[in-house]
Amino acid sequence: MTQLLLAAGLRIRGLTKSYGPVRAVHGVDLDIVAGETVALLGPNGAGKSTTIDAVLGLSRPDAGEVAVFGRPPAEAVRAGLVGAMLQSGGLISEIGVRELVELAASLYPAPMPVDEVLDRADLTELADRRTTKLSGGQVQRVRFALALAPDPQLLVLDEPTAALDVEARRRFWASMRQLTAAGRTVLFATHHLEEADAYADRVVLLARGRVVADGPATAIKAVVGGRTVRFTLAGADLAALRRLPGVTAAEAHGDGVTLQSSDSDSTLRALLAAEPAARDVEVAGADLESAFLTLTGDPR
Amino acid sequence: MNATYLRLELLRALRSPRYFLFVIGMPVGLFLLFASLYGDGTQDGISGRAWLMVSMSVFGAMGAAVSVSGRIAGERQVGWTRQLRLTPLPGWAYVTVKAGSALLVALPALALVYAVGAVVEGVRLPAAEWAEAAGWSVLALAPFVALGIWLGHRLTVDVLGPLSGALFTVLAVLGGIWFPVDQLPAALRGVARSLPSYWLAQAGREPLAGSWIGWHGIGVLALWTVGLALLAARAYRRDTERA
Repeated sequence: MTQLLLAAGLRIRGLTKSYGPVRAVHGVDLDIVAGETVALLGPNGAGKSTTIDAVLGLSRPDAGEVAVFGRPPAEAVRAGLVGAMLQSGGLISEIGVRELVELAASLYPAPMPVDEVLDRADLTELADRRTTKLSGGQVQRVRFALALAPDPQLLVLDEPTAALDVEARRRFWASMRQLTAAGRTVLFATHHLEEADAYADRVVLLARGRVVADGPATAIKAVVGGRTVRFTLAGADLAALRRLPGVTAAEAHGDGVTLQSSDSDSTLRALLAAEPAARDVEVAGADLESAFLTLTGDPR
Repeated sequence: MNATYLRLELLRALRSPRYFLFVIGMPVGLFLLFASLYGDGTQDGISGRAWLMVSMSVFGAMGAAVSVSGRIAGERQVGWTRQLRLTPLPGWAYVTVKAGSALLVALPALALVYAVGAVVEGVRLPAAEWAEAAGWSVLALAPFVALGIWLGHRLTVDVLGPLSGALFTVLAVLGGIWFPVDQLPAALRGVARSLPSYWLAQAGREPLAGSWIGWHGIGVLALWTVGLALLAARAYRRDTERA
């Protein structure tokens, strides 16, 4: 029975949600096995938060299904199986850090002990501090503590390190690793490829409301971590350029040519030999936005 | 019923600086001032000092009960209401905690003005009358608890401050809390008798004259309670509805 329960972590089928005329997500399918740490990667507006809201039962999908450990989201929340850190959300005032964690813990059927929550969220020294006297990074840690309070099997984190400095980020993820080592499932949204690469077992790429890639971080990195080679060349033969080593996509606007390459060094050597007239050559790391354009083949 | 939540909710209310200023400071200050000006006569068959004492105690209690609106509006502003939806806390338990805390924080306001009355102003009453005045006052606070929950789910923090100041002044003046209703222009006396603040004050005073507010008073308070509770329920539901 336990095995059966563990196997089904999170299951999303055909999730579709529109806000007025804007289609936020369209037909998202996603399976997460219990114990996995999965990053939901995508630029702003890709549908990350919409997907997360549906997983938490905070919004009702227009179509599709979400099951958390085999249950509807609201039921999983009521059972204390889910802890979440939303992107927006401040802390109430006139209350101390420990008191706030006590309050959250009191609402769940089988909470994590308050001292353990404080320890894991690196808040033990701030336990008696009022919430109104915390820095931005400290507030973020308290919000993480609130997500831990139910002692959840699934942690859902919407851009959890947004307000943290480098050192705090490192400590945050170290604490996270301890938690996942105990078999917890984590789904986090981010728009930083490096963060997804460093901490997720698997990366799900969202663009314009659809899953455009889903795989181990290294595979995703090979796809979106490529370079862009730009140059000026009159009458470029795009078909020939696409055959150059490393080139994954080529397009031209007037005399300006853009190549996406998974191996920019080889591409450059071959390009300069084959097209001596190419000038103004620039090489840049592909940002996520342009990587998404490559993947979806659909310039915005 | 969640005891931890209720306890922390009470602590939060008592720690608010507004609580001390408006719920404790103002009623006591006004009582001492009015008692020195008008305390010597009699009104509605009771001594002026006792009349003013009950008036100011319910004024503070009313402020304390409605102050739940500030906490709710603040919680909505920071997104706490949304966070609560990620917990198993049922809606009825949330409302019970809010209503319970609103009533309980009104008790110190009553007690303090009574204490000032007994110790500073020399008000002497049989024990039963103290208890009856307090008990009736608490019962008559029901519409104000509903009012606080409604306003908290309906308004923003910025609007709530100035608005509740104005609202309390109107309720206190027209409801005959600061001075007797028979000093109002005739046209306004009828209005007074349909206000919950009038019957709140009367609920506290009547036992001192060996009487009670009667079914008419109970009816007016009940109507206000039901009406405001319906508005509060609607505002709460709209706030927490799944989009």
